[in-house]
Amino acid sequence: MRYAFFIGCTTLARLWGYEVSTRQTAKRLGVELVDMPGSSCCGTTYLETLDHMTAVAVAARNICIAEEMGLDIVTICNGCNVVLTKANKELKEDSELRVKVNEVLTEIRRRFKGTIKVKHFVKMLKEDIGLDKIRASVERPLKGLRVGAHYGCHMLKPSDVLLYDDPEAPTTLDELIEVTGAKSIAYPNKLECCTGPIMGIREDVTWRVGLEKVETVKKYADIMVTACPFCYLTYERCQLMAEKSPDVPIVHYPQLLGLAMGLDYEALGIESNKIDASRILETLNFR
Amino acid sequence: MSKVVGKGTELTGNKEIRIAMVDIDFRRRLLETSGAERLMLCHQCGTCTADCPVAKYVEEFRPRKIARLAVYGQKDRLLGGDIIWLCAGCYTCYERCPEQVQVSEIVSTLRKIALKEGIIHPTYRALMKNIAKMGYIYEIDDFENEMRGDEGLPNAPEPDTNEIEAIMRKIGFLDLLGGH
Repeated sequence: MRYAFFIGCTTLARLWGYEVSTRQTAKRLGVELVDMPGSSCCGTTYLETLDHMTAVAVAARNICIAEEMGLDIVTICNGCNVVLTKANKELKEDSELRVKVNEVLTEIRRRFKGTIKVKHFVKMLKEDIGLDKIRASVERPLKGLRVGAHYGCHMLKPSDVLLYDDPEAPTTLDELIEVTGAKSIAYPNKLECCTGPIMGIREDVTWRVGLEKVETVKKYADIMVTACPFCYLTYERCQLMAEKSPDVPIVHYPQLLGLAMGLDYEALGIESNKIDASRILETLNFR
Repeated sequence: MSKVVGKGTELTGNKEIRIAMVDIDFRRRLLETSGAERLMLCHQCGTCTADCPVAKYVEEFRPRKIARLAVYGQKDRLLGGDIIWLCAGCYTCYERCPEQVQVSEIVSTLRKIALKEGIIHPTYRALMKNIAKMGYIYEIDDFENEMRGDEGLPNAPEPDTNEIEAIMRKIGFLDLLGGH
């Protein structure tokens, strides 16, 4: 199975543990993630609110690269997921928009054809690989580990665009956590937004929203698991910025999966996570 | 009462709106822009504000009030200050609005109009300029690639910035952003 790998700015620039663990676990599952030459930022959810045409055209340029590769896109960022999925859907369904965007793309000798799909890594795991195959890849079940899952808004919403799982009661990430042998626990306000997108406007608010969730998770779980670089950074940084010492490790989903597959702790980049997870993992003998 | 007070508290207080002050033209402009079509169906139930993660901590950010001020075409109160830039775009109000008014989309429409009026939050402007200049929202260069190499990762894809700039120029987005 091969996919065009759309990594996203934040992971490329600073969350190497997320990227390296994604590549490692994909490889173990027989999935080839192919880099996209010349690809750029998806455009961000910001651009979409500023100018629709520019947002769709910038996204379309990235989609064109995958079309030329003949591969569906897999992304590991919720922001990229919603931006690329939305543009791809609109361009496929709205012929007037498609003509206008292709007129712009003529400038750079590209053309949107509408031949590929965009999906989040988590969705790809569940739909294309399947829980059974993933369960079969687990060599070291994470029994005894309690995990607070955080989906992140743009894995699910807007639901009429992403058309995936139940936006008010999703199960995918919980199921993917449970196949590792860990327990995905229920906790209040599980689906609440991290407010990462206003970090650059009012970071004090983002830290407060983040800490509230982290404190809740702490009551029920050992670690928190995310599948988006922005959510990850919010929950990690809000703890680093707080006056007390950080005590809820935030772990990228592929790192969790990789541990269960028996992959090397260092190779999964868990040490580059800023809140030390080793204490918990050592207690449970997962290191 | 206010928990976090910041700049742009245009939505705070009980400023009255006189019928003569209703700006029908601005409202029409909103209704004609994609995303705000269902604005007039808002019956002020307040589901949006009740479920908004930002409203929980920012007293001046009230999605229900944004919808009301939009119905009355209160351009200055909506576009002044940071109000429209505080929406995190989480789509909770979008999913739960019983009339599908979707305040998140009203906010997006307001941002589009703001940009046409030369109004944009500095953080947004900076990020958009980075995309135009570097193809990414941050600099991803030799230093980052060296660090990536240490982790066993390949170099980051090198965006063709000429292509991105060409797209933005053709659409006129760079002119809207202002400066160079």
